[in-house]
Amino acid sequence: MISARGVVKRYGRTTALAGIDVEIGPGVTGLLGSNGAGKTTFISLVLGLRSRDAGELTVLGQDPASAGIAVRARIGYAPEHHDLPAELTATELVRHLAEQHLLPRRAAVQRTNDALWLVGLGEERFRAVSTMSTGQRQRVKLAAAIVHDPMLVLLDEPTDGLDPMQRVEMLSLIRRIGTEFGMQILISSHHLEEVERICDSVVIVEGGEVVHAGTLAGLRSGPEGLVIEVDERMGELVSLLAGRGLEVTAHEGRILVGAGSPDAYDAVRDAVAELGVGLRRLEPRGRTLEDVYLGEEP
Amino acid sequence: MTSGDARLFDLGYRAYDGPRERPAYAVVSLAVFTVRRVLGLGRGARHKVLPAITLAIAYLPALGSVAFAVIVNDVAAGDLIGYGDYMFIIGSALALFAALIAPEALCPDRRSGMLGLYLSGPLDRTRYLVAKGSAVLAVMLLITLGPLLFMLLAFELAGFGPGAAELPKLLLQILATGVATALLYAALAMAVSSLTTRRAAAAVGVILLIFVPANVVRAAIESTGAPDELDLLSSPFVAAELAYRIFGETPDDVEPVTRLSTWLVAGGVAAAVAAGALVCWLRYRRLEAFR
Repeated sequence: MISARGVVKRYGRTTALAGIDVEIGPGVTGLLGSNGAGKTTFISLVLGLRSRDAGELTVLGQDPASAGIAVRARIGYAPEHHDLPAELTATELVRHLAEQHLLPRRAAVQRTNDALWLVGLGEERFRAVSTMSTGQRQRVKLAAAIVHDPMLVLLDEPTDGLDPMQRVEMLSLIRRIGTEFGMQILISSHHLEEVERICDSVVIVEGGEVVHAGTLAGLRSGPEGLVIEVDERMGELVSLLAGRGLEVTAHEGRILVGAGSPDAYDAVRDAVAELGVGLRRLEPRGRTLEDVYLGEEP
Repeated sequence: MTSGDARLFDLGYRAYDGPRERPAYAVVSLAVFTVRRVLGLGRGARHKVLPAITLAIAYLPALGSVAFAVIVNDVAAGDLIGYGDYMFIIGSALALFAALIAPEALCPDRRSGMLGLYLSGPLDRTRYLVAKGSAVLAVMLLITLGPLLFMLLAFELAGFGPGAAELPKLLLQILATGVATALLYAALAMAVSSLTTRRAAAAVGVILLIFVPANVVRAAIESTGAPDELDLLSSPFVAAELAYRIFGETPDDVEPVTRLSTWLVAGGVAAAVAAGALVCWLRYRRLEAFR
């Protein structure tokens, strides 16, 4: 869907992208990174709104800098900012953008209606955008991004400015669009939990470079075994577990139990009970996205 | 629901496999959208006030002239307002209209980020400018062409027209004048509007660009004896002078500028249009369209 090889983008002396290498395939992909990491710059290159200084980039099989209209008409985009033409109603705005993506007038009217109902603005579709809340504007942008049935949808910080409940609803909606309607979605975010919740794959960008990329399951996979955290007497617990034949190491306040111990859970339970310490954490030794992002080993 | 053939469909959002239009459709769609926006159509009453006032300023002299001819009835054709004179009379309305519509057409898209939404789709920068330029030109034609065509039709119906033999020629003269004047003001106003995201600043800039050079060069010519060619830097001058030349009229109370050939005046208009278009294109070619 998107293929980047050594993509470089500079703004004067500042290097925003320092050689991006990534393959983004089908499904919902999260583009994760802190503010200023280069996410928005990468999206602008994918959209062909900025030109790169070096490297190769293809989107839907074509270079976005010179992409044909047929390809550009099949990309949907919801920007980060909320500044939409205030005097227009949601219907007017979405229909106008549908026509801009070459939908015939009748189809644009019909699909505008359908898209606004899908995003939960069916009853509000004739309200002026200026009178809408931030959450509703985010939904209007999402409807505008999907109204023309794009193959690829780029969502730049789609939960920005939403309260927790709205955020959950928006993420569910995006996931549904990505799974039910067959659109490939690239969602830019700096919220780990959002990406972890709805994405199949993740691309982590820091300092203008891709530091991790792959499926979420693949990134999470790590050494097998258990992670244990207790309130006190960690050294005694390590000795006790080692004495029961487990491969045990202490690491930054945590006890790591190696793989190959089918009765490890029972052994830990018994040892903790024997010492009478509080068990704060006991879980498989996989990595969370936070571990991946922070470069930590469990 | 018990009726045998009745079915309830709730298809909702679904994939689209119907036809898609050609790129020109997006250009036309954006142009129509822009025309409606700048005229305040489909918007609140306050958005219609300024366009309505400016249109009234442009059309009232034509209405008055026709009404006068019909009421007096035996007025001589030479006593009626000339078409060239008319373009001179509504010169201020033209400038005001240009200052009103071009900023409204261009500035909000950059300020609101809509430009990025447009350019991420089938429209490229050139097509976007063609759409916007067409919209501004179409609205300018309402004021440069509309009143003259109205006068031609009304005078013809009232029996003060040029007659069937002269009608095609006069129609061509009106078209040439209307289109040239609209192009001139549209290009200048779009050039200024491409330089700022603020409508008010653009409007002031258009007014200044149109009237400051006009007064400065006129003062220079009258006080220091500078060459008449300097008048070519004055938009109102070249617009009015070209209209007079096309209609073969002579201004009543202004000394004719006979030392400038008609081709030079037409060249002045063409150069101003080209310069305005070039500034606009260069500006958008380099413009940051992403927020």
